Formats: sequence, C-alpha cells, structure tokens
Amino acid sequence: MHVNARSLTLAGVASASFIAAALLDDSALAVYVLLALTASVTIGISLLMGHAGQVSLGHGAFYAAGAYTAGILATQGCPTWLGLLFAPIVAAALAGIVGIPLLLLRGHHLAFATLALHLIFLSLISELSITGGDVGLQGIPRFSVAGVTLTSVRSYAFLSCGGLFLIVVVARNILDSRPGRALRALSSSEVAAASSGVPVGYYKLAVFALSASFAGLAGGIYAFYMGYLAPGSFPVMLSIEYVVMAAVGGLGKVSGALSGSVVVFLLVHGLSRVATLNGMPGTAPVILLYAVYAVLLITAVLFLPGGLVAFASTNWGRLRARFGVGTNTQVSVAAVDERGSPAAPESVAPKHGSFS
Amino acid sequence: MSAFLSYLIHGVCVGCGFALIASGLIIIYRVTRVVNLAQGMFAVVAGFTATSLLGAGLPHVISELTAILAAAAVGLLTGCVAIGKRGTHPQASLIATLGVGVFGYAVEILTWGDQPRSFSGLTGAFEVVGVHVSTQYVLITVVTLLVFGALELFFEGTYAGKALTACASNPYAAALQGIGVMRMGLFGFALGGALGGVAGVLLTPLQPISYDSDVLLFVNGFASAILAGLTRPVFALAGGVALGVAESMVAGYSKASYQSSLALILTLGILVVQATRRQALHTVEE
Repeated sequence: MHVNARSLTLAGVASASFIAAALLDDSALAVYVLLALTASVTIGISLLMGHAGQVSLGHGAFYAAGAYTAGILATQGCPTWLGLLFAPIVAAALAGIVGIPLLLLRGHHLAFATLALHLIFLSLISELSITGGDVGLQGIPRFSVAGVTLTSVRSYAFLSCGGLFLIVVVARNILDSRPGRALRALSSSEVAAASSGVPVGYYKLAVFALSASFAGLAGGIYAFYMGYLAPGSFPVMLSIEYVVMAAVGGLGKVSGALSGSVVVFLLVHGLSRVATLNGMPGTAPVILLYAVYAVLLITAVLFLPGGLVAFASTNWGRLRARFGVGTNTQVSVAAVDERGSPAAPESVAPKHGSFS
Repeated sequence: MSAFLSYLIHGVCVGCGFALIASGLIIIYRVTRVVNLAQGMFAVVAGFTATSLLGAGLPHVISELTAILAAAAVGLLTGCVAIGKRGTHPQASLIATLGVGVFGYAVEILTWGDQPRSFSGLTGAFEVVGVHVSTQYVLITVVTLLVFGALELFFEGTYAGKALTACASNPYAAALQGIGVMRMGLFGFALGGALGGVAGVLLTPLQPISYDSDVLLFVNGFASAILAGLTRPVFALAGGVALGVAESMVAGYSKASYQSSLALILTLGILVVQATRRQALHTVEE
C-alpha cells in the first residue's frame, strides 16, 4: 500500500512534467531542459552522499565526460543514439576506474580528491585535440533516432524529461532492493555493514559508478541539446551546485534530490532574471548566483540536516497533529510517525518492513 | 644550468606562498578538524584589499598590513559560520566553509568586479650565481621564513600557542583544563585567515589574481599540507617548497598548463598511499 502511494505520486509528478513540457513556451523550455538535466545529476549525488556516505565535489567531470563522449562519437560519424548510449557507459567506466583508488579515501580527503578530479579533467579536455581543446567541440549534430531528428527545444524537453524519469525509476528500484538496504546500512556504519556481510568497498564503487552514469546520461543529452561543448561549460562551480541542490533537498532520497534541484534551480533562475532587468549592473546575475548558492548551502548544512523534504514532512505532520480534530487525531499521529521517519536516515532497521 | 637555477628559485618562492596557505589550513584543521575550503579566498581578499588601498594612495607597508588584518577578520567570520553552531560535525563544517568561499565570490565581485587585479611589488633584481632574481621573490622568501619562525615561537613559547596545541591533540582534555575550545577554534580561523592574507599580498604582485584564483591557491595549499602530513605548520614549509619546485620544473621543461595537474596527481597519489597504509594497519580513522 505504501509502495502504491509512492508509485502514484511518482506517476503524477512524471505526467505533470510531461504535460508541462508540452505546454510551456520556448524560453521556459530552455530552463526546463537544463533543470531536468541538473536534477538527473543531483539524484546521483544524493544517492552517493546519502547512502554511500561519500562527498563528491567532482560530478561535473562525469557530466562533462558524458557530454564529450556523445559529442565526439557524433562528430566522428557514429549514429547519435549510439553516442547517447555510450555517454553513461563511459562516465560509469571512468568512475569505476578512478573510484578504485579514490574511494579508499574518506571525508575531506575524498572531497579534495573529487575536486582534483574535476580540475584534472578540465585541464585534460582543454589540452587534447580530440576534444577541441580550449576552443571546444563544435558542430555536434542534432539527436536523431529511427529517422526522427530532434530539433526543437520542446523535443529536447521531452528527451531530458524521459532521461530523468528513467533515472528516477532506476534509483528508486535500487533503493528499494536488497542492495539499497545494504547501502543504507553502509552509510550509517561501514564497520557494522561489513560485519553483516555487506561488501562495503564493492557497493561504494558501484554507487559511485551509478551516480556517474546518471551524470553521463545527462551530459550526453546536454551535448546534443547545445550542439557545442567547451571546457568553460563545465566549471568547478557546476560540481558544487549539484551538492547544494542535494543538500537542500535532503540527502539519500529521490524526492529530496528532485525537490532540491527544482527549488534551487528555479530560485536561481528567477533571481538571475530579476538581476538582468533594467538598471542592474552587468555583474549582478553572477553575484546573485553565488550569493544564493552560498546562503542555501550554509543554511541547509547547518539548519536543515534532513533537507527540505524531511523538514517539510515533519512540520506538516506536526501541524496536522496540532490542528487535527476528533477522529482525525489518530490518523495525524500516524502520519507524523510515517512521514517523520525519513528525517532520521540512520534508523535503518525499522524501515525494512515498509520497503519490502 | 642557469635555466635550471632560475626555475629552482622561482619554485622556492612560489612554494613559500603555498606553504603560507598550507600553514593556515593546518592550524585550522588541527584545532577544529575542519578542512577549510575557504582558505584560498582569504588570500584573494587580502590581495584585492591591498590593491584597493594602494590605489587609494596609502603607502606600501600599511596597505599590506591592513589587508592581512582584513583577511584575519574574514577568517574569523568564516570560523563563526563553520564552527559557531555547537555540535556541527567537521564534515558539515567543511561544506559550510565551501559555502563561505562561494559567498566570498559574490562579495568580491560586488566590491572589486570580476576582472583580474594586481599591484606592483618591489621592483629591481639581484644577480645570484648568474641568475636574475627579482627583489619580490627575495621578499617572499624572507617574509615566509620570518612568519614561520614567529609561528614556531608562538606555538612553543606562549600560553595561547600551547592552548591551541592542546585543543589540537585532545579537545576534551583541553576543555577540562579550562581552555575554551570554541574560542581557540575561532582564534585558529583568524590566524589561518591572517596567514592566507600574507600569502595573498605577497603573491599578487607576481601574478594578477581574480575572484576565482582561490581554487588553485587552495589546491596548492592543501597539496603542500598533505605533503607535510597535515600536522605541524613548519613541515608545510618543506611541503610547499617541494611542490613549488616540482611545479616550476614541470612548467619550465614541459608545459605550463601541466603544472597544476601535476600537483593534483601527486597529492592524490600521496593520499591514496596513506589511505592504503592506514587500512593495512587496521586503524580506523576518527
């Protein structure tokens, strides 16, 4: 019954997003595409940080890896669908290879290592000739499959929304499975998980690669959507933005990653639109962008440890319990228990029942 | 040969700058267990402040000292955000310092714009063993040595220094002795800010800085700190100089754009080796 409710919500959100993609105008769709791609990466980050307990400040590199894979394959004459197929595969393979040494690291060491990975990747793509160097990769053809070429922004909105939906389904199914429970055990105590027979190192690597493949898929769609890639499209700030969104939404939950990326992305875009209004200095959008990300990140880390979703659901439950009348009270208290529990991701054991 | 020597001297001077940033990182880390991702920002703020003050007509030494004080104040503010809320986990503080660093971007662009800035340091040059060495390089080395000497005296010879060391080795025991661990942490942040500021005012004349220079400054500082094992600030001098020389050699004999990648790969290698050794010893960290 629990699963049914969740599936219904998911179906509702998905159909609402598809309807939005069908109705919005082109300028809104441009925001929509980028939002869907960002949310795709954020889901991966959220899984990685919330479940494998690993901070990554380098997922922009995997996004870039996916984008360049798709871009290079397409400009070399491969079918574009093959490029999009290989984008997540190459990103995951890259993560799998660098993850073997990097995931030995913990905490701030891993944060630094992933940041370093992003910087090394940037200097690599600005040096290599196959990636077009500093000038960038130009003339990437439009995405086409089965004789249909996607040219309009709307078609890319559908494509990115489809990609996001695929990622949501994969992430949810993995979280609800046996490996998902093992991951949650791992995130609270690696030693305890290992002693219960969870192959800790292997699972950490697998989540790292999986989250990289999400980023790679989003990057691949980005390449076809933009038609042009340059090292400047993937600044270090990009990697940080994903962490901000995941932290704001609440780590480890697909709904958290989705709501975090939607709220942060729309807030930032709304403000940057205000900042480009008449009379504002040219640097205003950048200043606002940085300030908003900074304030959101600090607030989320210090005051919303469970993220927006947990905060909203506990307080919603509390409000309902307070204002619930008569027969409703019983239901409301149950709601507090049920909805309040995601606030404490450490409590692995009691949640088993609801997932099986 | 003279090319080699000039790369070497350039490397030592740049490495001194890295060491200053590294020492700030180490002091903050030792006292609070927080890796301060905003460390590069302190240097950038000091560099910008000095540029503005000099532009306003203030004399040299006063401008630089004021800039260093400003960086110390920024360091203190960073500390308030990162550890001011009691019970904040070091990992959360790390992300909070990242937030402060990003906020620094906003303030810097607002105050100084997004274009690189610089000011002229000492002009003139020496001839040392047939190599042209500019006076600014000599200044950097001398100031760095003085700062590290002062740090050593401070940690070994003063009550505040001892208290900082006590907080670093065992915060709980230090608190039992009546040492305010939180206050010491904030003091550590202010000191770290000042050290970053020294690096900023010394390095800005060599190469114009912009608001996003902080990433490379942080990366190099952290790399030096790792080479020094994140323990004593004085070791960071060795780490920073080693890194500076290595980068200078790569830039000189190979390609300048490879130098930061080299520093990063080197650091990653060291981190991974340390981690494997730690695993082999079965000593679980923290």
